[in-house]
Amino acid sequence: MTQVATAAPTEEAQAKPGRGPIDWWGGHRLTFVGPLAFIAIAAALRIWMQGNAWTIGIDASSAGFNETYRALFYGEVIAATVATLWWWTYLVRKGKQIVDVPVSHEVEVRRIAKFWGLISTTSVELTIMASFWPNMDGAWHQTAVRDTALTPAHIPMFFLFFPIGITLTVGTYLYGRYWLPKVYGAENGFPWSFFFLISASVTEMMQVAMNEWGHSLWITEEIFAVPFHWPFVLYGWLAAGIFALWAETIIRLLGIEAEIEAAGAGGQEAVAS
Amino acid sequence: MASDTETLEADQQFERLKALVNKEYKYIDRKWDAVFWISAAFIVGAACNITMLLFAGDWDFWTDWKDRVWWPILTPFSLVIIGSALQYIQWLAWRFPTGMTYTAICMWFLSTLGRWLQWGNFVWYPLNFVWGTTMVPAGIFADWVLMKSKSFVITSLLGSAVFSFTWWVSNYVMIAPYLQPAEWMDRILTLSDIQGIAYIRSQTPEYLRIIEHGTLRSFLGETQYVSIVFGMTVTVAGYWIGQFIGRMLAIWPIGRFMKKW
Repeated sequence: MTQVATAAPTEEAQAKPGRGPIDWWGGHRLTFVGPLAFIAIAAALRIWMQGNAWTIGIDASSAGFNETYRALFYGEVIAATVATLWWWTYLVRKGKQIVDVPVSHEVEVRRIAKFWGLISTTSVELTIMASFWPNMDGAWHQTAVRDTALTPAHIPMFFLFFPIGITLTVGTYLYGRYWLPKVYGAENGFPWSFFFLISASVTEMMQVAMNEWGHSLWITEEIFAVPFHWPFVLYGWLAAGIFALWAETIIRLLGIEAEIEAAGAGGQEAVAS
Repeated sequence: MASDTETLEADQQFERLKALVNKEYKYIDRKWDAVFWISAAFIVGAACNITMLLFAGDWDFWTDWKDRVWWPILTPFSLVIIGSALQYIQWLAWRFPTGMTYTAICMWFLSTLGRWLQWGNFVWYPLNFVWGTTMVPAGIFADWVLMKSKSFVITSLLGSAVFSFTWWVSNYVMIAPYLQPAEWMDRILTLSDIQGIAYIRSQTPEYLRIIEHGTLRSFLGETQYVSIVFGMTVTVAGYWIGQFIGRMLAIWPIGRFMKKW
């Protein structure tokens, strides 16, 4: 819904120099900060693995494994759960407060830039979970004896980056639903783009259970191309929905430009609600 | 004069498009392009990488598994899928015949990072044993077919075949040195066989087997040409799987919503 600005409370932008809605360190800041945060976490875990995987990570029955890898597993699950619940709760509670507040075009453009930052973060996070760790998974499991489902390669991949994939895809939807209501507002219905993207991260997590069950039933060794691994591929395909997110928001950006042009031709600048 | 009218319309269309390209916007600038192309590179490379790993990874991980019967069939089939999807997306959105090459470069970067960091520096396999294949030359040729034909049907039939064949030729350059004969305990093996025996993969079933066997090494090596041609046909199927992904999972959802869920 577009309406002409009146006495209704309007969220206006107050940008410092260089922090405008489309400045690199303004609206686009999350495009750097988000991906770098996940790259830093993956790098820290990988560096820690270098000195520990082939010593204490090789025997799941040892005390050292319990104190490090199993503790890391519990820590990851608790941290991912707490962070997810906190972020989703914040998005819903804050979102319900702001969703009906009219905003200027500048504020809406800044929100679209942040939304793109969330998409970038999701893209990098899904890459870490679907390329970076699977390469370690292959190298480890074709070499080391599998004596537990919680192997050094599985712990960061399956129990941190996989669940965080769900956190990010659902969280990005919630941001879109409340901060960009003209595109993803509840009255529009549930977007198919997000349906595919969220399905990608959810099916990936569900496939972990099938993977471990398959390895316990058929082979403890590793053959990457076995059929019970194939559902992992679905993730990569369903994630194609991410392209629709870019398209849907660039269409809105063009709409904003058209509204500005129309306002410049003799009308008042419109305010999104 | 119909030709004059057509020329006039073409000129007007050119001017309209030129004006659109040079149009000044308040909020739309090249930063959005940069954010899109760089961010998409990650998910595109990862999707291509995971598809290849889980359909053809075993044949791609080791030099001795890069055989002449399955490797030339499974690898181009799995690589072409995401490349085809990106060809559709980039051609539809910008008329760029670059989707396959873009995918190839993204995939190469992530694959090389994985081989170096995980296989090379984590498990300490030498990189000349675990190097990954390249699809960059194959992607360039497949994009060239799309550019010239402007047809996804022709690209699926001709481009997939070109992709598969170019993939084999460009990777044969790398595998050829490892197919040289060598004597090992009074037997003639290839250098890649000896690598497979020397670097033990204790959790790969039958880790001491010779991957290539039987008729693969007889008939003067003709079997590999049969495999390449069969791989070219299988890659056509992979191309249309990719088209489905591009059309139905990436483009179709734009602006579509479920009213009830």
